Amino acid sequence: MRAVLLTAVFLAGGALMSLEMASFRLVQPEFGSDIIVWGSLISVFLGGLAVGAVLGGRLADRGPRLWKLGLVLVAAGAVTMALPLYSGAVLDWMFPGEGAPLPAEWGAGGGTALLVYQPPDLRWPTLGAGTILFGLPALLLGMVSPYSARLFVHAMGKLGTGVGQVYGASTVGSIAGTLGTAFYLIAWMGTRWLLISNGLLLVALGLALGVADRLTDRPGAAAKS
Amino acid sequence: MRSTVAAALMATVLFLGGVGVWVAAQSADAEPQVRYDRESRYYRIRVVDYEKEGRRCLHFSKSRGIQSSMFLDDPYRLDLRYSKSMIAALALHPAPKDVLLVGLGGASIPKFINKHWPDIRLDIVEIDPDVVRVCQEWFAFKGAPGLRVIVMDGRIYLKRNPKAYDVILLDAYAADRVPFHLTTSEFIALAKSRLKPGGLVASNLWEHGVNRFYNAELKTFQATFPQTYLFKCGTSGNIIVFGALNEQRVAKMDWAKRAKALAEGRDLGLDLPRLVEAEYSVLTDRRIDEKPLTDDMAPVDTLRNEPPKHFDEGT
Repeated sequence: MRAVLLTAVFLAGGALMSLEMASFRLVQPEFGSDIIVWGSLISVFLGGLAVGAVLGGRLADRGPRLWKLGLVLVAAGAVTMALPLYSGAVLDWMFPGEGAPLPAEWGAGGGTALLVYQPPDLRWPTLGAGTILFGLPALLLGMVSPYSARLFVHAMGKLGTGVGQVYGASTVGSIAGTLGTAFYLIAWMGTRWLLISNGLLLVALGLALGVADRLTDRPGAAAKS
Repeated sequence: MRSTVAAALMATVLFLGGVGVWVAAQSADAEPQVRYDRESRYYRIRVVDYEKEGRRCLHFSKSRGIQSSMFLDDPYRLDLRYSKSMIAALALHPAPKDVLLVGLGGASIPKFINKHWPDIRLDIVEIDPDVVRVCQEWFAFKGAPGLRVIVMDGRIYLKRNPKAYDVILLDAYAADRVPFHLTTSEFIALAKSRLKPGGLVASNLWEHGVNRFYNAELKTFQATFPQTYLFKCGTSGNIIVFGALNEQRVAKMDWAKRAKALAEGRDLGLDLPRLVEAEYSVLTDRRIDEKPLTDDMAPVDTLRNEPPKHFDEGT
């Protein structure tokens, strides 16, 4: 049980950060490489994790089962895999206004004052587009850690040890996902295949938890809640 | 004994003090003068005067690379080798009227174009508003009819503004880095779609040495345009790649002839026809063992650290 849960949170943490790295690559062509983009996307992921943690914790207190955690992971994987299908359309739709704010004709320029046109404000549109695209997968993945901690404690009984190990494994997985993506995966498979493989990984992980539920839970060591 | 030690100490102190004064005096003479050094939203912008050489340079972040260089006694003359080669793009077009420059740098190219061909309407897209201000304050960049600056990401501008140009000049480096979304097939095709018939795109690439990114970018141009040319700017590490809409190849001597016509009656301070003759090479049919970069697959930072598989120096 312990090994299964720690593996699950490790992989989910890795997929989460890999998705976050991929999100920068998806958004940059449409919204630029501005610090606004980095800030917005990081905030979206943190926000999703926060809401997911609250919801996941609540759900965990109502009959925690491995297969339910598996279901969350399958959902997160499906959303991740589907991202390349609609990310372009969402980003295009969220970009403010029609065209750059330029006068059609040359103004009475003249003189020595430099004509400078300021950019449209991209802060809220970027945050909005990021929320639509990545809010849901981040939320679903945010549910994994508290839910796993609950299952861990349920099976082992040690609250401090359980929470500590779950968060440790999740963070180490996140490091692996970040570095793996930055150092190798983006160059090796590109953004689209990165999203698809992360999605497949999460779906497979979710299904595996379903199977593990059948195998471990039936005899009923941890079933009496 | 004690007095000997004291004397020795005194002598040492005096000697070191003397050395200190000498070093300080030396460096006050030769040391470059930092005129401006401030953090902007994108870079750390530094303006440094190298008085011995009579130059003022623009640096971004910690990069020792020079973004732009200006002669203190003649702010309108071109200094950096690559900026001169970029001007050759104007000669590849029979009559450039509308020109777009992506990446302002130290404004050397727009100042030069506006001074010698004031009839050209020049749009400049620059992402960092502080760079625009620094150019106005430190690089003698002034407003003029037919000159305007748009503070925006180059790709967003091209996508959102339908205006078409005769010549598009790409010079968008962020310190030593290349923003990947300004390298891909999608971006180059977008620039191509904003060209009037007979138009062309010229892009500056700078590298320490030949690497995989450099080749992949050339391949991207090659795959996008019917005709491509490559200028190697001496030993500066810059290359300029030209992508032209015209199916017909322009021969070296024809380009040089046009350059001569373009320079006619103007004191450019550079021999444009000879530059074309010296740097001209055709890229169109050259073999490049790389795939074009795409939005999906543009591992720019990885490719820049890898040696090329194959590089055809061309003829």
